[in-house]
Amino acid sequence: MNDAITVRNLKKEFKAYSSRSGLKGAFRDLLTRNYKIVPAVNNISFNVKQGEMVGYIGENGAGKSTTIKMLTGILTPTSGEVIVNGMNPHKDREKFVSTIGVVFGQRSQLWWDIAVQESFRLLKKVYKVTDEQYDSHMAHVIKTLDIEPLLDKPVRKLSLGQRMRCELAAALIHNPPLLFLDEPTIGLDVLVKLKIREFLKEINEKYNTTILLTTHDLSDIEALCERVVMLDDGKIIYDGTLKSLKEKWGEGKEIEFQFLEEVDLSDLNKITASSEVKWEKDDKEAIFTAFTEDNDELISLLIAKVVADLKVKDINIKETSTEEIIRNIYDRGIS
Amino acid sequence: MFYIAIFFQYVAQYMKTRMQYRADLFVEIFSDLLFQAVNLIFIIVVFGHTNLLGGWTRDEIIFIYGFFLVPYALFSSFFNIWDFNERYIVKGELDRILTRPIHSLFQIVLERMELESLFGAVTGIAVMIYAGNSLGLEISWTDPFLFFLFVIGGMLVYGGIFVMIACISFWADARTSIMPMMYNIGNYGRYPVDIYNSVIRFVLTWVLPFAFVGVYPASYFLGKEEWFLYSFLTPVIGIVFFGISILTWNSGVKRYRGAGN
Repeated sequence: MNDAITVRNLKKEFKAYSSRSGLKGAFRDLLTRNYKIVPAVNNISFNVKQGEMVGYIGENGAGKSTTIKMLTGILTPTSGEVIVNGMNPHKDREKFVSTIGVVFGQRSQLWWDIAVQESFRLLKKVYKVTDEQYDSHMAHVIKTLDIEPLLDKPVRKLSLGQRMRCELAAALIHNPPLLFLDEPTIGLDVLVKLKIREFLKEINEKYNTTILLTTHDLSDIEALCERVVMLDDGKIIYDGTLKSLKEKWGEGKEIEFQFLEEVDLSDLNKITASSEVKWEKDDKEAIFTAFTEDNDELISLLIAKVVADLKVKDINIKETSTEEIIRNIYDRGIS
Repeated sequence: MFYIAIFFQYVAQYMKTRMQYRADLFVEIFSDLLFQAVNLIFIIVVFGHTNLLGGWTRDEIIFIYGFFLVPYALFSSFFNIWDFNERYIVKGELDRILTRPIHSLFQIVLERMELESLFGAVTGIAVMIYAGNSLGLEISWTDPFLFFLFVIGGMLVYGGIFVMIACISFWADARTSIMPMMYNIGNYGRYPVDIYNSVIRFVLTWVLPFAFVGVYPASYFLGKEEWFLYSFLTPVIGIVFFGISILTWNSGVKRYRGAGN
């Protein structure tokens, strides 16, 4: 299988100038400026295979957008090598961009004033898509995204969710083998999100489309991506399956208890003294949480012990969510 | 060929949109015409006091003004890049432009065209016919072709200068107020350059060659032989300046830093 994206030692530096403080500083800035070279993306390397769906995650300012912009040919890398669809995105930009589809969640690809179908028609010409290709492919896209009734409305009259679905359709007019999605579900309600996810899955299965997705909403990534690339401070800090990320960083399970009677932490510690359990108490609601490693036998044993001694009102077993795992990684750093 | 086809696609789209806002369209055409009338009245008022200006008669100056309006109308229809910095760099619209398989400058020209400005060309031609009649100018068979050539040349001069100014945004972050100033300087090209001192004349000929939009090419039709050389330089200057501006643009796009999200 061919690689859709190959990135080697990619680096992008921005020159930012820091201003001095005060009026005196402002005058000095006028004459000489302090430039600082800030690396937005610092020596990253990765490959993406054709047909993969990859989640690209990181905090604000971690370098996600910068990477995407280099991969789509918008920005020129400072150094390093980028090969996407067998081309150098920046050098062969005009030829290259007809092999990719791009959706920037915060920016519209469509023309504001004209009806959606007119936008589609214009894009169809821009991408030199023939009528047959368009009809066979887009009829399906329009049906799946359920945008038929929106086609004759101008973009400015659409709601965000409606617009986003149209944007997605617009990015797929030329049926590109590679799709970049930058925050595609930002600000959308659950139903639209689900629809978009389903659609992306379908496209991926039907055309073996490679999808690179950045998002703040980790549920997108859980629903779609097998693989995540995690970025922090311009560096890749994790690249692998979502499952092993969870296994490696998910810190066991949490079991929440609520009791019918007054209970002390010391009582609980006594009861479970034989196994490795850490108890915590939530003052307000009198919820006691036991932290233990992810081992089914151990957990049932723990519950059995507690239930034998105390009257229980409610029990809840929770897995650490991906969101929590990622927050943990960013808080503590990878070690 | 592809670019020509795309051009007409955009024009058709533009017309469709414009037809939907009829009132808007009429207001714009009306204010355009009004603006030109004011300019013309200014010239007439100036010549109310004198019939000669640096050896040029009133009708000759009106003729130059009429000529100037034609390339200027073409320029304002297709090169609406005065707000390039805010619209495309600060708001990051250039990101979108750069992900489409058409030359970025051409896309901006297409997106921002304002075809109602073309009415200015009609006014211009009417003014030229009026002034030409009073001057008793004769039209030879080559004139329409040369007129076309000079008009395109003049438009390219204007376009080249403004594209180069827009390119500043690729190198400098700060907004510049050069654009409005340049529109003012551009107006100097409407008057005979020999009424200015030699430094200004040099600037208007070789540095910011606005004289090639108005007085130089118009001199040919007025039969001012001492300016013929300059008249025929018009398309050359146009191509050179526009060529340079495209090269500048292309290297500017490479430096584009994008706007943060």
